[in-house]
Amino acid sequence: MLEIKNLHASIEDKGILKGLNLKVNAGEVHAIMGPNGSGKSTLASVIAGREEYKVTEGEINYFGKEISELSPDERAREGIFLAFQYPVEIPGVSTTNFIKTAVNQVREHKGQKPLDAVSFLKVMKEKMKLVNIKQELLSRSINEGFSGGEKKRNEIFQMAMLEPKLSILDETDSGLDIDALKIVSRGVNALRSKDNATVVVTHYQRLLDYIVPDFVHVLMEGKIVKSGDKNLALELEEKGYDWIKVKN
Amino acid sequence: MLDSINITESLSREKDSKLKEIKNNIHRSLPSVYSRYKEEYKFTPFFRRLQKKFDSLSPEPTKEIDSKNFEKILSTYDSFRLVIVNGTYVKELSNLPKELNVSSYNKLSNEEKENFLNFYTQSDDSNNDIFSSINLISHEACTSLSMNEGTIIDEKVSIVNIIDSALPSYFRKCIIIRKNAKISFSEDFIYLNPNKNFSNSVTEIFLNENSNLDYFSVQKMNSNFHFNSINVVQKKNSTSTFHTYSFTGEIIRNNLNVKLLDKNCYTNMFGFYAVKNKSLVDNHTSVDHIDENSISNEHYKGVIGEGSNAVFNGKIFVRQKAQKTNAFQSNNNILLSDNAKVNTKPQLEIWADDVKCSHGCTVGQLDEEALFYLMSRGLTRKDSISLLLSAFSSEITEKIEDENIRSFYQEVILNELEELNHD
Repeated sequence: MLEIKNLHASIEDKGILKGLNLKVNAGEVHAIMGPNGSGKSTLASVIAGREEYKVTEGEINYFGKEISELSPDERAREGIFLAFQYPVEIPGVSTTNFIKTAVNQVREHKGQKPLDAVSFLKVMKEKMKLVNIKQELLSRSINEGFSGGEKKRNEIFQMAMLEPKLSILDETDSGLDIDALKIVSRGVNALRSKDNATVVVTHYQRLLDYIVPDFVHVLMEGKIVKSGDKNLALELEEKGYDWIKVKN
Repeated sequence: MLDSINITESLSREKDSKLKEIKNNIHRSLPSVYSRYKEEYKFTPFFRRLQKKFDSLSPEPTKEIDSKNFEKILSTYDSFRLVIVNGTYVKELSNLPKELNVSSYNKLSNEEKENFLNFYTQSDDSNNDIFSSINLISHEACTSLSMNEGTIIDEKVSIVNIIDSALPSYFRKCIIIRKNAKISFSEDFIYLNPNKNFSNSVTEIFLNENSNLDYFSVQKMNSNFHFNSINVVQKKNSTSTFHTYSFTGEIIRNNLNVKLLDKNCYTNMFGFYAVKNKSLVDNHTSVDHIDENSISNEHYKGVIGEGSNAVFNGKIFVRQKAQKTNAFQSNNNILLSDNAKVNTKPQLEIWADDVKCSHGCTVGQLDEEALFYLMSRGLTRKDSISLLLSAFSSEITEKIEDENIRSFYQEVILNELEELNHD
């Protein structure tokens, strides 16, 4: 599904990713771990197409197609979803209206008919249960005055509504207490299928107790320096990132 | 510069001896009023641009009009309407509620004229703004509007000003709302002449005890010049609310001056501008709190497009006697291009010591972070911008209480914003 080869990316001429390789197949969950400043969030942003980041070398192939030149909305309509580390508050734009517009634009792109008000509401109710989010919250402006946990639940709710093929969760665990973490993880797990894939970017092993990865990669200084299964995460938790630095 | 105004001709046309005296006086003080021009029009080169177009600011003498020419335009104003063509009230074209008394000054009875002159020029800014002085000298027939004590008109009355002349046109109204009366107006200016034109409108409004006024203005002046000065005096327990929406004009200059004379007065000033096609929109407002316990609440927001300009200048005065005043003012701007410009200046002068006042202004760009968020969910850049701009404007239209009126003006603003967001 996703194949990243020798990816170099920079922001304001500062190189962040320096030759990153990653291959994700449908049905897999990959965890990207690494210390602060290693380039984890940059990787998430670059896959989603954030325009401040420039790809200077290498390629990002998604279903066999190079997507570096696609705008964020084109990528989203192709099925790439980014759950933000810091979801943006947008006063004056109702969450429900926004999601309805987004869902219907994605459907239109797939050649499906837009959902009418009744069926939209039905789908929405179903997905709301998944992450335990209240109607009242969704009638408010996007993320405005939401607690940290509510913001993250709203991200997973949007993910559920948009049914992406590739989901990237950027530090979705940051700022979550244990109950919220469980709710968010339950949502993510419920959406897993053999046709989609998830990339979880995280600092801590804790999240991986709930969203169990098939592969764990360690990102340091813009490169993946070590890959393994879920036991690699446990080992990192115990020994710290210095363990890998020393080994290298 | 003053010579080029060249309005002695219009002065000589005045036949009414009392008006002639008033006009002569202001004509003599033109040089002193003009001395304020530089400061008052720091970012708005009104004279310089007018001079390129007009040798004289004198209007055409009042002429007979052919009502048929206006039927088509007026067909869209199917409820109450007050029609003024080139500054003259046209009764045959108007459709007014019986509670609203309207007449040209020269058609008033002698007794009515005497009463009218107690108000005329009492609130205007002709001593302060040269364009207001020019209006006073050059207008031919002030329209007098009044409402009797306790009368209430629920349906909005449209004031339709039509400019059907190649020369500058002067509009002047004096509105007297008596005790416990209530009305709401919306005002439009329509240019029929294909030439670039200049319209100049001065309105004086007197709100008596416990009266209530709503006033909507939609300003689509295309590439014409427009000067508009609204001057309000409020008495005890009265409420006024102004909604000013400005879009296009070579130059639009609005002066909105509200004087809260007594206790417990309340004024709201809400404005939105979406400036495009190299237009310049200049809003100058002032609120004068003279007595205790009054509230003023002002919020102007605007979006400025490529090559366009906006100016905001808001003054709040809180006099020594005006304890327990609440005065709020804020102005927020979004620049859509490197070539868009805004000059904003909030001013607050307080002589009382027990007041609650705030003022502030912001100038920014579209929030790229928010744009990325919306786009990352599949919305195109254009749709994302539309969503953000419409959210930005909704804070102003939300203040309109009546649901139908609110959605009408929301629609007007959204259409204008859509045109700003065409790439």
